[in-house]
Amino acid sequence: MTDIVAGAPTRPRRMGFLFALLAIGAAGCTLPAVVQSPLFLTLMTQAAINAVLATGVGFLVRQNGTVSFGHAAFFGLSAYATALLIKFGLPAEAAIILAVALPTLFALALGVVIVRITGVAFSMLTLAVAQAFHELVLKWRELANGDDGMAIAFPARVFGIDMATFQQPASMFLVCWVALIAVILGLWLLCRSRFGTLTLAIRENEERARYIGYRTVLPRAIIYAVSAAIAALAGLLFALYNGFVSPGTLHWSLSGEALIMAIIGGPRLVWGPALGGVIFFFIKNAAGDFTDHWPAVIGITLILVTVLLPRGVGGVLVWLGARLGGRRPS
Amino acid sequence: MTGSAWAIEGTALTRRFGGFAALDNVSIAVPQGEIRGLIGPNGAGKSTLMDVLSGRAQSWSGQVTMDGRDISALGAVERRRAGLARSFQRTNIFPDLTIDEQIRLAAATAERDNSDEVMAELGLADLAHRRAADVSYGDQRRLDLALALVGRPRVLLLDEPAAGLSMQESMVLARILRDLAGRWGVTVLLVEHDMEVIFSICSRVTVLHLGKILADGTPDEIRRIPEVITAYLGSTVE
Repeated sequence: MTDIVAGAPTRPRRMGFLFALLAIGAAGCTLPAVVQSPLFLTLMTQAAINAVLATGVGFLVRQNGTVSFGHAAFFGLSAYATALLIKFGLPAEAAIILAVALPTLFALALGVVIVRITGVAFSMLTLAVAQAFHELVLKWRELANGDDGMAIAFPARVFGIDMATFQQPASMFLVCWVALIAVILGLWLLCRSRFGTLTLAIRENEERARYIGYRTVLPRAIIYAVSAAIAALAGLLFALYNGFVSPGTLHWSLSGEALIMAIIGGPRLVWGPALGGVIFFFIKNAAGDFTDHWPAVIGITLILVTVLLPRGVGGVLVWLGARLGGRRPS
Repeated sequence: MTGSAWAIEGTALTRRFGGFAALDNVSIAVPQGEIRGLIGPNGAGKSTLMDVLSGRAQSWSGQVTMDGRDISALGAVERRRAGLARSFQRTNIFPDLTIDEQIRLAAATAERDNSDEVMAELGLADLAHRRAADVSYGDQRRLDLALALVGRPRVLLLDEPAAGLSMQESMVLARILRDLAGRWGVTVLLVEHDMEVIFSICSRVTVLHLGKILADGTPDEIRRIPEVITAYLGSTVE
């Protein structure tokens, strides 16, 4: 036995990432104190919610190697669950918890069935499921008010916190920012666990994973459920901030946008899609000030990133960091 | 465990692809601790037999037992957990994981974790923290073997472990295999086209031809069977 092997970590320790994440997290928390513009803080809050959604979509790509065109389902289901459960008389606190738990459990059950299918067929199934929910809330007016959407009747206080905290840009930005940092930290820890290694192994070579003694469907379904839980959290933040939900939150175009964010940021990195979410949002708003055809600008950005930066903007930052740190870029 | 003399036994194994019988009523039994060679020309049914024994094949008939226990209904995962491991004709590893990560992952499903021992025996310890995709083909083949050996399986099915290796690398692999099998008491069924490897480490050899067993015997006996020479060995092996 060599010293290299004995008691050595399975991967070089990347405590630098942890410190950087916490530093960026702390720096972000000072933003509302530094920036006074409500418009900018509103944009940042929306960008942070987008970033959470993109992180969920990107994590599925990273860990399962599959592409979902239907994560809007979990985003929208969470927002609608919040609205409907409060409408039906549940305490807001219970509604908020169930708004994340129910889509997650649904995703786990769905995942056990659909993760057995790979490639385009998987993506199409996720799209079909999301569009089914979109049609449901659109057509069932008695339940969800159709395309008029629903106002969410939050009480004055939730979990003992004044509801205004969630609906003012400065304070809500902090909530969303902390949620985003917590999600990235949680996923980073999960990726470094044995379960994280197992799911990567399954992504790499599912047959071999079975021949070293692992069942492969449940781990893949759990990853799908985790990514859905993150999308549901984003939907909850959206519902808290806006106090309103409409069928657009379930539409495939939102899933597509989240996927584009993940690709721009770099789905191989846990934090890449979040970066992509912020970039996407600011391109969208900057281009939107000049032209109604802002999706074309997003499209050109996507093409440029795909062709020139296949590992996304995050991949470039990692490469630059390695170069500046004197390490050999991977 | 029933105390059967056979570590692994396949009885009346048949697997058809349409009208073609890749395996036609084949029976094979390997006693505990033996290294059995399985040879034959391409299309003889060797890999199909490995697939049936390891639980990879989907539709087949017959019975597979390990130490007398019927494992015919078990899938690949259950057979691995029962102590049956295999390697594949093509290198079958996890390219994006480090060697250390994947060997420890494989060890986690076994009763005993002998990751360090396996890495040291197969000369992988110094490469432990390198991605599998970044090491040489020979190292990848040894990693493939390590993934099968980790956890000390009772039965090991190896499908051309020396494929693509140089003669020197093949003989080193053969020596490692013979040493480990001897020390650990592992039963090995070895498919290999390299006759040097087969005849140097196998105590018995089974010859498959067109889905049937053509011959079975010690290496010396096999070398002298005219039908085997005609069907497979040719005149070059003396």
